[in-house]
Amino acid sequence: MTKTPELLLRIFPSSRREVATLVLLSGLAAACFTAVAGLSRIYYGQQEALAERWAGRGAADLKAGNFAAASTEFGTALLYSHDDFDSQLGLAKSLIGQGRIDEAYGYLVSLWSQKPENGTVNLELARIAAGRNDRQLALRYYHNAIYGIWMANPEASRRAARWELTKYLLSLRATANVQSELISLSADEGDDPAEQKNIGDYFLKVDDYQHALASYRISLRANERDVAALKGAGTAAFSMGNYVLAQRYLQQAVEAAPGDHDAETKLETASLALRMDPFRRQITQPQRDEAVRASFAAAGNRLQSCAAVASYPALLPATNPAGEPLGAAWKKLEPQIARGKGFHDADAVNQAMDLVFAIEREATSQCGAGTPADTALTLISKIHEGN
Amino acid sequence: MSSLSSSSSSSGSSGLSGSQVAAIAGGQVESEPAETSHAPRVSEFFREERFFLVLSVFIGVFAGLAVVCFRFAIEWCRIYLLGSGAQLSTIRLILTPTIAGLVIAILVIHFFPQARGSGVNQTKSALYIFNGYIPFKTAVGKFITSALAIGAGFSLGPEDPSLQIGACIASALGTRMKLSRERMRLLAPIGAAAGLAAAFNAPITAVLFVIEEVIGRWTAGILGSVVLSAISSVVVMRWFMGSESLFRIPPVELRHPSELVAYAVLGIIGGLFSVAFAGGLSVLRPRARHLARWTQYAQPAVAGLLIGVIGWLGAPQVMGAGYEYMDEAIHGRFTWQFLAILAGLKVIATLLSFVSGTPGGLFAPTLFIGAMLGAAVGGVEHALLPHLTASPATYALVGMGVLFAGFIRAPMTSVFMILEISGNYSIILPAVIANGAAYTISRALMPVAIFDILTRQDGLELPSMEEQREENVLRVEDAMRAPNVPVIEGDDTVEKALRTLEKAQQEIVLVRLKPSGWSSLSRAELREFIADNKAGQAVGSLLAFKQIPLLHPDMPLDMVLRYVDRWPVVPVVNRANLRKLDGIVTERDVLERYRDFSGE
Repeated sequence: MTKTPELLLRIFPSSRREVATLVLLSGLAAACFTAVAGLSRIYYGQQEALAERWAGRGAADLKAGNFAAASTEFGTALLYSHDDFDSQLGLAKSLIGQGRIDEAYGYLVSLWSQKPENGTVNLELARIAAGRNDRQLALRYYHNAIYGIWMANPEASRRAARWELTKYLLSLRATANVQSELISLSADEGDDPAEQKNIGDYFLKVDDYQHALASYRISLRANERDVAALKGAGTAAFSMGNYVLAQRYLQQAVEAAPGDHDAETKLETASLALRMDPFRRQITQPQRDEAVRASFAAAGNRLQSCAAVASYPALLPATNPAGEPLGAAWKKLEPQIARGKGFHDADAVNQAMDLVFAIEREATSQCGAGTPADTALTLISKIHEGN
Repeated sequence: MSSLSSSSSSSGSSGLSGSQVAAIAGGQVESEPAETSHAPRVSEFFREERFFLVLSVFIGVFAGLAVVCFRFAIEWCRIYLLGSGAQLSTIRLILTPTIAGLVIAILVIHFFPQARGSGVNQTKSALYIFNGYIPFKTAVGKFITSALAIGAGFSLGPEDPSLQIGACIASALGTRMKLSRERMRLLAPIGAAAGLAAAFNAPITAVLFVIEEVIGRWTAGILGSVVLSAISSVVVMRWFMGSESLFRIPPVELRHPSELVAYAVLGIIGGLFSVAFAGGLSVLRPRARHLARWTQYAQPAVAGLLIGVIGWLGAPQVMGAGYEYMDEAIHGRFTWQFLAILAGLKVIATLLSFVSGTPGGLFAPTLFIGAMLGAAVGGVEHALLPHLTASPATYALVGMGVLFAGFIRAPMTSVFMILEISGNYSIILPAVIANGAAYTISRALMPVAIFDILTRQDGLELPSMEEQREENVLRVEDAMRAPNVPVIEGDDTVEKALRTLEKAQQEIVLVRLKPSGWSSLSRAELREFIADNKAGQAVGSLLAFKQIPLLHPDMPLDMVLRYVDRWPVVPVVNRANLRKLDGIVTERDVLERYRDFSGE
């Protein structure tokens, strides 16, 4: 205590009066400071309470979809707590709800500059950028949101952000990017049957049948009678050319929920593809003979049905691999097939099936899609001709 | 409280001005050699200077604390009178300002008559008329009535009252310590700077404003104290209210120089708006004051009622200081049409508030109008020229400076205020261009600044800072003429000097002394030396203690007046070579120059 006056005396060596004045002023300043600190506590306590009250009302109105009221309430909360992050975010969301995107964007950018790692802010900014067709910015904000920090339920929020990004990418037809996001989602979702089924649907949309089938299978592990998963798995297998698997899943789907025309058509096509494919392994000779005959007959029917349309004559000049017109070639081979018994000679099978595939190809290009049998033959040709 | 009058008066008797102190500190004693008896006085002076600097810090602390309390009071008044919500009820909107106006009128008329007005002129009056004395009751009155007015929704700001409260606190401290009159005069601007710095949370702006508008000149003797008090008040302010600036400024950048034209347009429009605002104030205020005495009670209430109606009609943003809405304008949350309406309505609301005699400041309304006008002009320019890249924030910020330069007529403060608020040096060029345009237009259309008009309406004649700033200072070179008197060396004998003088047919000879210095001798003095048998002595040896103080061409002309009564011819010497004579100056030359300058 005695050191302070001594120090002051050293500064003002010749005036004890001045030292006394300074000590007195210091004491007065300390007393005033303490008094104002007390007032300050009361003031900020009140400001905090008001901010909380108005922010609470804003959050309730935002949840109820009363965006206009919510924006006023969040604005009022910000009067009392200028930098409150949640109120600013709430205000931005309520402005978005009112369609006042530019104003909301201003708030969000300001929030982003404070917390660039915040997941919610990045997601909102990504949505605005996507709405403005600013692809680069949208992707940047979406990725920030996925890898950002989320206050509540971070895993679910990140998955939701990734889902949103996936849908956005799908709208841009960026299939490769969608696939990679779906693979991440599939890994994130674990064994959740509903989510895996959903992921499977999205894999189908980007023609990634292998991953789609895997996702449906995970979903079916939880409920093997899930019709949508069965149909999805069947569709994926069908698209992959795995008709055995497709037939199995689609059969179960159709049995569980009859009347699904799409599933029934696919099931029929898959069954026909199995029945009419003579190149299948591990089938008996009679089954192979039957497959050749059925295919040949279907090709003949295709020729006849195509004759009904004006472009039929155009089919005539088309030739088989031997150089003959297709119709003539079919007629020439038809007696041999009809009486044929046991196509032990692989060349004979190939010759017959090459003609069948050529007819189907030509007929499809000139007369459009045919019966399920024709579709099945086209699918078989794709498998065996490497297309 | 101890008395400091003895030390102060002793310094007063020593007659040391700020510049002389600086000269002493720099070791540039050019006049008479210092007497040894002066040494203790100088040391006493320095001790007092040091104490004064410490006192400035205390003034800053007390002013900062007062301004913090003032801000709390305004906010509490707002919450309890108008309500805590952003949307105000009709009854409160109409009744609160009306009843508050009535209460304020009673307080101002019966208890605090000095609290009327913004506070800037009152502080200047204290400085120039009342020797720095402001009754402490004025601070109390200003605090209560301004907080009530602003909190109740009158379109006024807290800055000018804070400035006056700071000056009042400084004056009260000085009075209790019985400081000398000279020191008391210095205290008012020191307290004013502290109050304004705390209110603005911007010390540089406050210091510049006080220098530009209250003191009027850069005075080294007071600058240190002003800066110290401003900084200490801001430190206190930030301790309690945080370090964030008044507005949250988004990044500002100027991408293309052609955009400066857009800011020049803003400056022109802002200049015209400033003239309209200041013109309205200068015309309406005396009319309102000359109405019957009983109307003085009703005027604030009527003003409050009309402001409440404006708020009720859909523009509550114009009520109070309006910082939150300036912030919203900066962040582009209003359409340009609404911004323009708000700027116009704010002018009306401020005219009503101020003209009715309600205490409160004009700074915040000026900034509000500027921000709205700037953002509106920016919006229109963007609509017409979509390639412009500047954001609403830039236009709003520059708009604030524009109105400050055009209305308050403090061009330098306006530029630095924008810099300090935005913290971005990219804005300096747009601010200088726009503020310069606004200031020029305002000056051309309205030759007298608004604060000077208000002062004259109050029957006072205070120095116009604007006129002082632009006043031409006469220098020695303006009165100096070519040397037409003979010059001899200090080594020359008295006899030779007399011969030279007689040959030149002059009465005075200048003597160049060694190693430096000048003196002069008259014919009578030379003859006196000869009569004393000193004809063969060197004149230099006889003039050792009779040197003429050195004058240089760039020195103020009034410096010459200090010497011409003792030295009929004063040499003007070159700064680089003190032995080289640039010219001479006589009393007659000086008086003729002053006569020519005053247009006689």
